[in-house]
Amino acid sequence: MSKKFSVLLGVVLILSFVLAACQPAPAAEPVSVEEPVAESPTEVVVEEPTTEPTTVPAEETVEEELPVLVIWSDEARAPVLEKLGAAFAEEYGVTIQVQQMGFGDVRDQLKVAGPAGEGPDILVGAHDWLGELTINGLLSPVDLEDKADLFLPAAVDAFMYDGVLYGLPYVTENVAFLRNPELVPDAPQTWSEVAQIAADLEASGVVKQGYIRQDGDPYHFYPILTAFDGYIFNVNENGYDPTDVGIDSEGGLAAGKWLEDMVTNGHVVAAVDYEIMHTMFEQGEAAMMITGPWALDRIRQSGIPYAISEIPSETGVGRPFLGVQGFMISAFSENKLLAQTFLNEYVATEETMLEIFAADPRASAFIPVRDAIEDEDIAAFGKAGEVGMAMPAIPEMSAVWTAFGDAINIVMQGQQPGQEAFENAAAQIRSAIEGN
Amino acid sequence: MKYQQSTGELVSPVFRNLRSYLGTLVGLSLLDGFALWFIYNLLADGVWFLGIAVFLVTLGINIIFLRKDLYPLRWISPGLALILLLAFYPILFSVYSAFTNYSDGHLLTKEQSINRITQDYYLPEDTETFSWELYRSENGNFALLLTGENGDRYWAKPDQPLEALPGQESPETYDGFVRVSRAESIKYLTEIESIAFGVGEEGVRVKSLSSAAQLQKRFVYNADIDAIIDQKQEIVYYADGDLGSFLSVTGTELFPGYQVAVGLDNFTRLIKSPALSGPFLQVFLWTIVFAFISVVSTFMLGLFLALVLDSPGIPLPKVIRSLLILPYAVPGVILILIWRGLLNPHLGVVNLTLMQWFGWAPAWFSDPFWTKMGILLVNLYLGYPYMMLICSGALKAIPQDVYEAAEVDGANIFQKFFNITLPYLLISVGPLLVSSFSFNFNNFNVIYLFNEGGPPIPNTPTPAGHSDILISYTYRLAFAGERGADYGYAAAIAFVIFIILSLITLFNFRFTRMWEEVSENV
Repeated sequence: MSKKFSVLLGVVLILSFVLAACQPAPAAEPVSVEEPVAESPTEVVVEEPTTEPTTVPAEETVEEELPVLVIWSDEARAPVLEKLGAAFAEEYGVTIQVQQMGFGDVRDQLKVAGPAGEGPDILVGAHDWLGELTINGLLSPVDLEDKADLFLPAAVDAFMYDGVLYGLPYVTENVAFLRNPELVPDAPQTWSEVAQIAADLEASGVVKQGYIRQDGDPYHFYPILTAFDGYIFNVNENGYDPTDVGIDSEGGLAAGKWLEDMVTNGHVVAAVDYEIMHTMFEQGEAAMMITGPWALDRIRQSGIPYAISEIPSETGVGRPFLGVQGFMISAFSENKLLAQTFLNEYVATEETMLEIFAADPRASAFIPVRDAIEDEDIAAFGKAGEVGMAMPAIPEMSAVWTAFGDAINIVMQGQQPGQEAFENAAAQIRSAIEGN
Repeated sequence: MKYQQSTGELVSPVFRNLRSYLGTLVGLSLLDGFALWFIYNLLADGVWFLGIAVFLVTLGINIIFLRKDLYPLRWISPGLALILLLAFYPILFSVYSAFTNYSDGHLLTKEQSINRITQDYYLPEDTETFSWELYRSENGNFALLLTGENGDRYWAKPDQPLEALPGQESPETYDGFVRVSRAESIKYLTEIESIAFGVGEEGVRVKSLSSAAQLQKRFVYNADIDAIIDQKQEIVYYADGDLGSFLSVTGTELFPGYQVAVGLDNFTRLIKSPALSGPFLQVFLWTIVFAFISVVSTFMLGLFLALVLDSPGIPLPKVIRSLLILPYAVPGVILILIWRGLLNPHLGVVNLTLMQWFGWAPAWFSDPFWTKMGILLVNLYLGYPYMMLICSGALKAIPQDVYEAAEVDGANIFQKFFNITLPYLLISVGPLLVSSFSFNFNNFNVIYLFNEGGPPIPNTPTPAGHSDILISYTYRLAFAGERGADYGYAAAIAFVIFIILSLITLFNFRFTRMWEEVSENV
């Protein structure tokens, strides 16, 4: 093999490594235009009923033009939608195709498939995708009509973007404060109390850590930030204002100071991830933590006693981020009216919302179902979420996760005091939002 | 029986040629048919860039198969075609992207963007909302029976003025149209969605299952001034070809924007970015150190093990070799996560043991130095089996008589290793070491999975971690910016990294050529 050729080959290989590592799949492979269809692993086609409606003349052309509604859904919702789709097909002769994919894949694939005209009519997703999806022009407005009052106002607000509603919410979720009631009988009301209890527990040696939190992770830190009256983006009449970053506000710095003191006194330790945090809590080595309803199953299975309460406060109110999931309509759908009708007439009903709840128990965004929840734990999470703030859906949020997460880590690792780390994070975020 | 056996011989060479020629033609036409269908679909989707690439590749294959003098190329043409489409095309596309504003908010073409923006309707103030009933004629035309808020009823057909209807009852048939029940009308929603019932602006559109109204287009595109006009608020948004957006005079932007070529903007942005003036140098140096130490350490351990296994008297060499190769067989992603667990200071076996024995254990994830050590250690574990494999092979190729000659000359084991084994080995293994360097230079997996580039560096203008290498740093820059993913910017950075890496690789190749020159003197 000539040397020149091997150099060329090397160059090609290197370039492909660089590019492969740098670009996310949809961008690096323009071929993936047809992927969503090919990739959807389980595609359930609900057949039309064979009996033809009597009033319609049996022309073949008419039959061919009947629309097909395509729904992209995650694993938990797909079976419910399939069942609904079968009933809808039976009643109205409209075929519903449910294509199941990973929750996050729905968003990523839509960005590729939508513009190519291959996307779904309806998609299941989270409200914080709104910014990304709407600036790409991928969503069509949703109108709840007379059913609007049946939905939790906070959940509906979460699906508003620039004053337009883009989703029909079905579930809300948020973190709450969990404690081991055998070690901490009463729910602490303030974060200073948490520090005190942690100090006492650790001094007595019953646990390794009184309070445990996972590294970085602005999502789980937000309730602490707001408890000290800090904020990430301030809220004005148009929603979150990306020009007003509050990580280095007085309250933000107070939260940073609290974290710093916890670290100095050994009540907060670094190198903890989600898995370790839960394992330590479930083994009784940690007594308090912040977590969400997704962890309920494993905590119950571990057999450790637990109690769920609202987020402790301090100078402000400890507000968890509210995450809302809902049904959205693709802007590239040719059946928008039909999709809208399906959602309003078939999904926004007590039976469907109950089934969605049964398939994946989280606090429902549909008030009649939310009020009827008998699961005490889910209800407790719902209660903690009453003061919650919808997670910002504005695209500027992407600048926050790394910068703020890094700052929290820097404090947790004792590299810098809270004030400096938080001030620098705020500067980084402002600079990124200005487009540097 | 006899006849059948001799059929092959009966066919004349000319006929056989013709037959293979026909076979080629059939094969090619199948391929071309498929390619045409594929290209047609790509062009229909507006993916003309890839469509042209597929066309050119297909054309090339046809030429290769139809021309006798290109016969030898036939055997490598499938491989070439795949390389062109799956490796070369994405590279070209990425380079092209580096000169565009392809990013979140600018994913669509201008045409798609205009289509999307002008799709929305709005309900002007003081407009009546109707409830509606659907009527359908035998030949599939539609009409609506509208009932206003005050009970007035109208008969509405496309392109005809509304006609007032007396009475209260909805007739079963009217004007040659048959009434469609509410449930029935659901399946016609898609068809009537785009119809305006009535003339021009007076047209009534179905808004939902229960209501219809004189909805108006919210945005209208005017090609003469290349602008989109907001009918509701009477604002004009002019197309800005430099930004790829429709902008009002006050600077408000309509979404979605569209893709445009931005020239060198992505590159100038990178040069001006605080990311370059800030932690870039530190990240760059660590990238080189990481890649270099990874190659050297894995090579040393791999070579050592290969030598040990190669020497006589080792019991069960095959079993030991198989066990040693295991880390190579298990996916790296899993191994990295296992190591993360082992090294964890709270529950990890390694650290708990060290704590018990010495009362001290390294902070693998929070201390900059120990994170780097941890990464090098894990990468050593992941990489040595590969080096062991290639060294084992290369060792076998070293002529034994050279060793015998050396022994006659009284060389000791170290002299033999440094003067014979290593130079011979580096001739064949040298290029692989260079490619291993390039691989580690961009080894995103280890860095990102071990500690996500952390621990973070305090006081940087953009987020960066102590263990970040260029590629993971790029990832942070490109996907944590102002508005989500910025593919154009990412491609520009990737392009710059490629240039840097090419220079280093060129230098490395020089270096290995030096070894070859040494070998000539052995």
